[in-house]
Amino acid sequence: MDDRDLVGRARRGDPEAFTQLMMQYQVPLYNMALRMVGGPDDAADIAQEAFTRAWQKIRTLRDAPFKSWLFQIAANLCYDHFRRGRRYGEMPDEESNKVIGLGILTPDPQERAEASERNRLVRESIEALDHDMRLAIILRDVNGMAYDEIAGVLGVPLGTVKSRIARARAQVQEHLQRYPDFFPSTREDAHAE
Amino acid sequence: MPSEPRIPTEPTLEELSAYLDHELDDDARARVAEHVAGCADCQARLDGLRQTAYAIRALPMETPTRTFTIPAKPRESLRWAPVAGWIGGVAAAMLIIVFGVTHVPFSPAGTSSAAPASKTSGRLAYGPPQLSQGGAAAPTTHSDNIPADSSRAFAAKNTVTVTDPRNNARRLSLMTNAPTYATDGWMVVDGTMSGDPSSNVGQIHLVLRRGSYGVELPISSETFTNTDSIGFEGTYSIAALRLPAPVSGSYTLTATWTATDGSGVTLFAELPVTIK
Repeated sequence: MDDRDLVGRARRGDPEAFTQLMMQYQVPLYNMALRMVGGPDDAADIAQEAFTRAWQKIRTLRDAPFKSWLFQIAANLCYDHFRRGRRYGEMPDEESNKVIGLGILTPDPQERAEASERNRLVRESIEALDHDMRLAIILRDVNGMAYDEIAGVLGVPLGTVKSRIARARAQVQEHLQRYPDFFPSTREDAHAE
Repeated sequence: MPSEPRIPTEPTLEELSAYLDHELDDDARARVAEHVAGCADCQARLDGLRQTAYAIRALPMETPTRTFTIPAKPRESLRWAPVAGWIGGVAAAMLIIVFGVTHVPFSPAGTSSAAPASKTSGRLAYGPPQLSQGGAAAPTTHSDNIPADSSRAFAAKNTVTVTDPRNNARRLSLMTNAPTYATDGWMVVDGTMSGDPSSNVGQIHLVLRRGSYGVELPISSETFTNTDSIGFEGTYSIAALRLPAPVSGSYTLTATWTATDGSGVTLFAELPVTIK
């Protein structure tokens, strides 16, 4: 069953349909919030509030895609989080949480430690971005959204999406280049020889 | 005389990044590919961006730290039109955080059951205000002093809408529930930002000013959010606003909203307010 059917049922007040939508989007939405605000508890708060608001207001959703609408609500909550003076939380250590997918399991303790340090440096580089660029690159490289989807979430033109993602990548790259032991291939001259 | 092979113009950072994401149109994609094939510097730039994207994508997807829940029933639909926004405001006003000398949660009896079933720890300020329970030390509240009709008499008696002349979809509406207030009265402010979905209520600044003196009014809540519009509101005790004596006089309520699209456009909506 696709989003449209579930949204249609949810608009008619069917909580099971909305629960299915929640199950479908809870991990990507939580991870978007996590990479935006840093702390797992704050990210869970934001995801919970986004789902609550989406459920309460789903009858106002007309033609916009549910996914973009939901992520837009969460994005606004992230901006509110920053506006209300909350500092970027301590970056989560994924080893303390349950991790699913994409993580490369490395049985060797040293390799695991290096992978953990690489991830910490990447999170640190994302943290250093301004909020607009951070959100754009998270939606692209964490959530895997297409540019037009991102434009729908951010409510900005495609050109702005393209620019924010490119500048964000350039800044992250510049940050990671300071750690050639961990990221030798992000150096531009690493491939030009 | 044969001409030298022509290498297409060097791609911009944006083009290289979008090229990685397959987000260029066919012509641009072919042009970038042709240039990169013959330019070691741009090949290195492209590889650097690619490895950076890979590094971010290698971050593990983490499972939420708790289960998410929803209330049993969604709230009744709030429509977009300002008038309906006011109706929504009536319901939301019943849950409003009253701003006075202290910021005090207020939720009259009978509304708590309709509140979202937030399981949050209270770190987030977006959830519904919670009544103090049991023997907890409840803060002193002004809510009992709010006249019964201050938030219910919600016919838009004082309203203005300003439109961005370069983008008619971008509008800022501002309303108060009356044009005139007693010095011990309560002012209810409601508004709608439309046409800039990436905005949030944090970008609205409300100021009640007289001459060169003004006090900022904190916005207490969003009344609705959708893909195009955001509603906001606040209820304020005139006596608690710390206006300079004599408090009576003619004021201007100003809402300022700077667009998020980098255009630099700022909309000002102003309403006259009299305090007697």
